[in-house]
Amino acid sequence: MASAYNPIYTDVPEKDVFALHFLQTLSNLRTQNSFSSPDNKTSDRVKKIKKAAYVSMARAAGGTNRLWSRSLLHQAAKRNNKNVRFLRRKRRVTWLMRRRSNRGDPIEDVAAERLRNLVPGGGGMETSKLMEETAHYIKCLSMQVKVMQCLVDGLSPK
Amino acid sequence: MDLSGRFGARSGDGVPFREATALESLHLGGGGEEFRQMVPPENAGGFTALLELPPTQAVELLHSSSSSASQATTLHSLGTLSFPSNPLLMERASRFSVIATENQQNGNVSGETTTTSSVPSNEHIKTEPAETETCDQAAVEKQSNRCGKRKELDKKVKSSTKKKSKSSEENEKLPYVHVRARRGQATDSHSLAERARREKINARMKLLQELVPGCDKIQGTALVLDEIINHVQSLQRQVEMLSMRLASVNPRIDFNLDTILASENGSLMDGSFSGATMQLAWPLQVMETEQSYHHRQLQQPPSQQWPFDGLNQPVWGREENQDHGNDHNNLMVGSASLHPNQVKMEL
Repeated sequence: MASAYNPIYTDVPEKDVFALHFLQTLSNLRTQNSFSSPDNKTSDRVKKIKKAAYVSMARAAGGTNRLWSRSLLHQAAKRNNKNVRFLRRKRRVTWLMRRRSNRGDPIEDVAAERLRNLVPGGGGMETSKLMEETAHYIKCLSMQVKVMQCLVDGLSPK
Repeated sequence: MDLSGRFGARSGDGVPFREATALESLHLGGGGEEFRQMVPPENAGGFTALLELPPTQAVELLHSSSSSASQATTLHSLGTLSFPSNPLLMERASRFSVIATENQQNGNVSGETTTTSSVPSNEHIKTEPAETETCDQAAVEKQSNRCGKRKELDKKVKSSTKKKSKSSEENEKLPYVHVRARRGQATDSHSLAERARREKINARMKLLQELVPGCDKIQGTALVLDEIINHVQSLQRQVEMLSMRLASVNPRIDFNLDTILASENGSLMDGSFSGATMQLAWPLQVMETEQSYHHRQLQQPPSQQWPFDGLNQPVWGREENQDHGNDHNNLMVGSASLHPNQVKMEL
C-alpha cells in the first residue's frame, strides 16, 4: 500500500524485520537459565514465548512511534521491572470522551469498545485514531504470524 | 401567525399540514418582487441547488401566488434568514436539506419536499414535486401525509446522528421555500465538526475493510466492525497457537535458534524470506556452528531491554568469520550495515 496514496500512514516494515526481532528476542530468552532447563513447565515457556513474540512485534513495528506498541512495551516493562520507563499516562478525560459519553451510542461505538479492549493501548483513543491503530496492528500481527509460522515449519521435525 | 404556526406544526408532525391551506398567504404576492430581487443575487446557484429548480421557475412559483401583501415584510425579513451565504454550507445544506413549499389552494406547486437522507427516498421525493404541481385539497392531504412520513424518516435518520437539527427550526420560518438543514448541517459548528469526524471515521473504515479479507462485500459499519474484531481475535489466537508450537519444538533444539538467528540475519537482509530454503539451511548450520555460537551467546549480557547497539553488531562481526562457507556470506556484510539504520529507526 503506497503511503503516498493513503494519507493515513500505516506502513509496516518487511517480514525480515519482524523475523529479526523475534529471533533476537528468542535468543535472549534462551540465555535465561530458567528457560532451557527441562523441568520448566511448558505453559511458562509458552507464556514467555508469547510475550516475546508480542514485544518483538512491537519493537519491529516501530518501537514507540505507535500507540499500541508503546502500550505493549509498557506492559511488558511493568511486569518485568518495577522501574517504569515511560510516564504512566492516566486516562485523561478529553473533551472527545466527554462528548462520547454525552452523545449516547452511535452505531459504531459498541464495536469500538470491543476493539478498544482488543488492541493494546486503545483505551484513551478517539475512534478514528483507534481505527488507524487497528489497521497497523492487524498488519503487524499478520506479519508476526507469518514469521512464526515459517519458524515453526522450519524447526518442526521433518 | 400562520407561518410560524404552520412551521411549528410541521416540526410536530403531519397533522397541521391541513391547516396550512389557509396559508397560501405564504404566497408572497406583493412580497414576491422583493423576494425575487433577493433570490438571484444572493447565492442563486446554491438556492437553486436547494430548490432543484431553475431560478426563474422558482420565482414564477412564487409569483403565481395571490396572497396578501402583509406577508411581504415578514417574508422579507425571513428571507434574509433563509439563505446562508457560505457556499460550503450551501453545498452541505443541499445535500441534506429539505425543501418544502406549500401552496395548496392556488393550485400551485407548493408541496415540494426533498430530503436527501437516503438515495431511494431522494428518488421518491423528486418525483413528488411533479405530482404536486397539480395538487388540490386531496393532494394537499396526501402531500402532508407524505411530508409527515418523510419527517418521520428524517427523524429516524437524524436520531442516528444524535444531532437535533436546531438550525432546521430556524429555517422553518422561510418564505415559501423551506430550506431545512437536516442534522444541524448548515449552521452549527458542532455539526460541522461532527461531520468532519464522521468522514474521518469512514475513511479509516474503508482502509480497514481493504485490510481484512472478505470485508468488502459486507454492507453496514456494524458488521464490518464485527468482522474486523473477529479478524484481530483470530490473529491473536494464531499467535498464541504458534507460540505454543514453538515452545514444544524448542527443547529439541537447544542452540539452534542462536544459529538460526545468526544465519537468519543474512538471508533476511536479502529481502527474500523464503521459508522453504531457509528451513533446509538451518539444520545444516546448526550442526556446524552450534557450540561456538553457544559460547558467544553466553558471553553477551542478557537483558530485557535489548540494547541493540551493544548486542548485535559484535554478533554479526563474529558471524562473518563463521559463515564463510555459506551463501549468506555477502549478505552478512550487507546486513551489518543495514542494522544500525534499523536501530536508529527504532530508537
